[in-house]
Amino acid sequence: MNYPRQWMLGCIFLVAVDPLAAAPPDSGLEKALIKPSPTVGEASALAERIDQLLASKWQEAQVEPSDLTDDAEFMRRIYLDVAGRIPTVSEARAFLAANGQDKRPKLIEKLLASPAYANHFTNVWGELLIPEARAANRLRFLEPGFDAWLRKHFSDNTRYDQTVRELIAAELFDKSKPGASPYSRVGRTSPISFYLAKELKPENLAAATARIFMGVKLECAQCHDHPHAKWTRQQFWETAAFFACFEGQNANGFVNNAKEVPERHEIVMPGGARVVQAAFLDGGKPDWKNRISPRVALAEWLTRPENPYFARATVNRLWGHFFGNAIVEPIDDLIGENKPSHPELLEELARQFAAHDFDFKYLVRAITLSRAYQLSSRSKSADPPDVRLFARMAIKGLSPEQLFDSLVQATGYREDKSDPNRVFDPISARQEFLTKFAQADKRTEAQTSILQALALMNGRFVHSATTPEVGETLAAVLDAPFFDTAGRIETLYLATLSRKPRSEEAEKLIKFVNKAKTREESRTALADVFWALLNSSEFNLNH
Amino acid sequence: MPLFPFSHRPTETCLSRREWFKLTSAGIIGFSMSGWLERLAQAAGKSAERKRSCILLWMAGGPTQMDTFDLKPGNPNGGPYKAINTAAPGVQISEHLPQIAKFTDRMAIVRSMSTKEGDHGRATYFLRTGYLPQVPIQYPPIGALVARELGREDDGLPSFVSVAPARSFSPAAYGSGFLGPVYAPLVVGDPGDRFGPPAQIFTEDSLKVKDLNRPRSIDDGRAEARINLLQGLERDFVPNHPDVAALSHETAYNRAVALMRSEAGKAFDLETEPAKVREVYGKTPFGQGCLLARRLVERGVPFIEVTLDGWDTHQQNFDAVKRLSGVLDPAWATLMADLKDRGLLDTTLIVWMGEFGRTPKINNSQGRDHFPNAWSTVLAGGGIKGGQTIGKTSADGTTVEDRPVPVPDFLATVCQALGIDPLKQNQSNVGRPIRIVDKVARPIQEALA
Repeated sequence: MNYPRQWMLGCIFLVAVDPLAAAPPDSGLEKALIKPSPTVGEASALAERIDQLLASKWQEAQVEPSDLTDDAEFMRRIYLDVAGRIPTVSEARAFLAANGQDKRPKLIEKLLASPAYANHFTNVWGELLIPEARAANRLRFLEPGFDAWLRKHFSDNTRYDQTVRELIAAELFDKSKPGASPYSRVGRTSPISFYLAKELKPENLAAATARIFMGVKLECAQCHDHPHAKWTRQQFWETAAFFACFEGQNANGFVNNAKEVPERHEIVMPGGARVVQAAFLDGGKPDWKNRISPRVALAEWLTRPENPYFARATVNRLWGHFFGNAIVEPIDDLIGENKPSHPELLEELARQFAAHDFDFKYLVRAITLSRAYQLSSRSKSADPPDVRLFARMAIKGLSPEQLFDSLVQATGYREDKSDPNRVFDPISARQEFLTKFAQADKRTEAQTSILQALALMNGRFVHSATTPEVGETLAAVLDAPFFDTAGRIETLYLATLSRKPRSEEAEKLIKFVNKAKTREESRTALADVFWALLNSSEFNLNH
Repeated sequence: MPLFPFSHRPTETCLSRREWFKLTSAGIIGFSMSGWLERLAQAAGKSAERKRSCILLWMAGGPTQMDTFDLKPGNPNGGPYKAINTAAPGVQISEHLPQIAKFTDRMAIVRSMSTKEGDHGRATYFLRTGYLPQVPIQYPPIGALVARELGREDDGLPSFVSVAPARSFSPAAYGSGFLGPVYAPLVVGDPGDRFGPPAQIFTEDSLKVKDLNRPRSIDDGRAEARINLLQGLERDFVPNHPDVAALSHETAYNRAVALMRSEAGKAFDLETEPAKVREVYGKTPFGQGCLLARRLVERGVPFIEVTLDGWDTHQQNFDAVKRLSGVLDPAWATLMADLKDRGLLDTTLIVWMGEFGRTPKINNSQGRDHFPNAWSTVLAGGGIKGGQTIGKTSADGTTVEDRPVPVPDFLATVCQALGIDPLKQNQSNVGRPIRIVDKVARPIQEALA
């Protein structure tokens, strides 16, 4: 984001910069920018169904849901959940000022059409599919090609079942180049990093595939029949056998010399000499006589509409993304001890997702158009109702990417994009943040550590951003000639909390700033207000 | 009783620095599960006498018992190491731990640990919390439990410090579980990249608390003004949003500010130790971590854990363990000697353990694989009757022949050595009280002094 300061000034207080807000309703410009999808109306129908099913449980539990969000609360939440960042000042001003009953659905469509949506979901799904590459510097080279592949599919809104089939059946080896290392194809837009991150090990691939795409935690059965689990050790290895085609894996995880024996679908169970044939979890086997590739067979079985787990697992995960808590928890254990909080809702969502060609955006629309998604996170009592009723929106922590991208947005930070090694440079500001703020906890249980608090209070990034001569946003706000103190404070609020200050807040802060005796002092006073906003819970959380 | 004490806060718009600090140290701001009044009473009731401390030396990856504390020389499974005599008659350990061998008179070596958990994630969680993972209960690790029982955060120093933790196997076992963010560990020397090479280049700054000092251009007056502004924002937002994430954020800030304002941060500055002392511990992250642990014990921190990673020796076990022993031995032995010299060994319990042991049978890569059936841990120092081994394994190391020790028994012993009642209950996040240690636990009486 390379904003010269003048452009920054323009963005901050000229609503007209936002093309959508400037265009009169029903103008050609507006129509050209939003291509209404045939599924929008159907998404609304599903949204209504969601609300009906949730409301019936509220009645049963005699619970009153939260109030509906006001525009500011909704706007910040939808931007973070769909686009992975907070809105800009001009975006915020535009939305808050806009009229019309359908301004929220319009905003949802605008965000779904934006590149930010594809980027954000690439981050989220990338973390899910190849967490190994994000956790280790030496594996980071696996990310770009994989991210490009994910981004393309989110951008094109490819049918989700097709995306998953492409992933599972990915071609790692070029038949025209026998002996070439699988790493030679890593830079291309392709999903092969999924395989490489799992070190081509059948047990890793089986466990990840079952857990992510079916919500089945097979890994417990890897070593022994677990007394409480549904799966046997044999079944684990029968699933692993679908990935048995690779050989030449190294003990240290580097698979430079790996090869594929394409039709092999049997594996030796470790600890003995027993050989197991590939079989699906429901006991069925592919028709091997047709010389079908085992991975293709698995991909097709897994994503076929009759497989109840695929749609349910996906729907559950997406619900968890937006609501913080999923319908079944833990999010990737659909068959565990814990039952769905709303079984009928899970079934309905799964059924409609499959019926609508596994259209990802359709599902996102249905969830975000629901009234339940738009409930406030503000609690009416100190003893809020059971989170599993979804009667109040839960607060979610920000992912490290969301936090950094929002901080960049709020502070006008300019990264040095001239450095071609930016992605791999471990000490770039972005990378430093991503490491420091890495979150292993569930979003609704996100913990802030003392070190993170210190980093935000005293660290380089926020210090630069809150120094009047240095921070871009701050400088623009301070330098704007026709703002009074109230205007400057309002802009700082919009830049960080995406809302205007309440009158009592504004009063207090204006008094604080106006205590200053010199121009210099009032500039530092505003810088201090900015500092406080950037360190607040309201900024650092997704509510 | 409301879950969060915000409704009890004073209603002035701005607290003076002194008032804010007083309220923080009395525990009124930012404490979660217990009510503020209860907390105040507890703080007042704590006596000034020396409390016990615990240092956990966590060996991440599953340390081999056959090549450290339970050697089987002469057996086909024994491997190439020799066993050496130690300060305790009849007790032999690995030849690569000659310095710590001088302190076996203060150790109880448990050779009969036995569990069924051979998965890194589950086993790490089990050994650190005493319970198997059971969604949705967030069991706290022993560090947080001890911090709550023995801590007294009035000088800003957290009661639970974690040096270079290897969290990737089980992140949930490195937090504070349902005890809440107040008992979350302060982490220093974070290794960050788990799969990179071990940090060989180690500087004195590596164990300092990062970003502890505010930027030079911010003077006291501005710092105070900023904190006041921030508090105003929090007071408007947090009470209406009783979620874990909001509470955690606010608590972290309170604790961070308390740490900044206290002298306690100097404990992490190893440059104030004589160079010779730093040499003797070993210029490794683990070695310096042990030195830091001693300094924190001197300042009354009740629980410090120092992690030594790399024990998951599926290949080249003997080379790897020799190198690891070379790091472990001087660090641990110097720690014991230093504590003894300062008269602190009698009130400091040292626990040496990992998540499981390793197979007696050596595999094709000269390695040993995961083995929870029969393995070793060590209890040393305060509260422990030293000079002995607890339990026995078979000649080939594959089974426990005498006195198997399950995890709850081991952790109950740790509690008793620290003067903590293992059966004490804490309010959990699922509405029912949960004991520090499972009630089936029977402490190892013969290990206790």
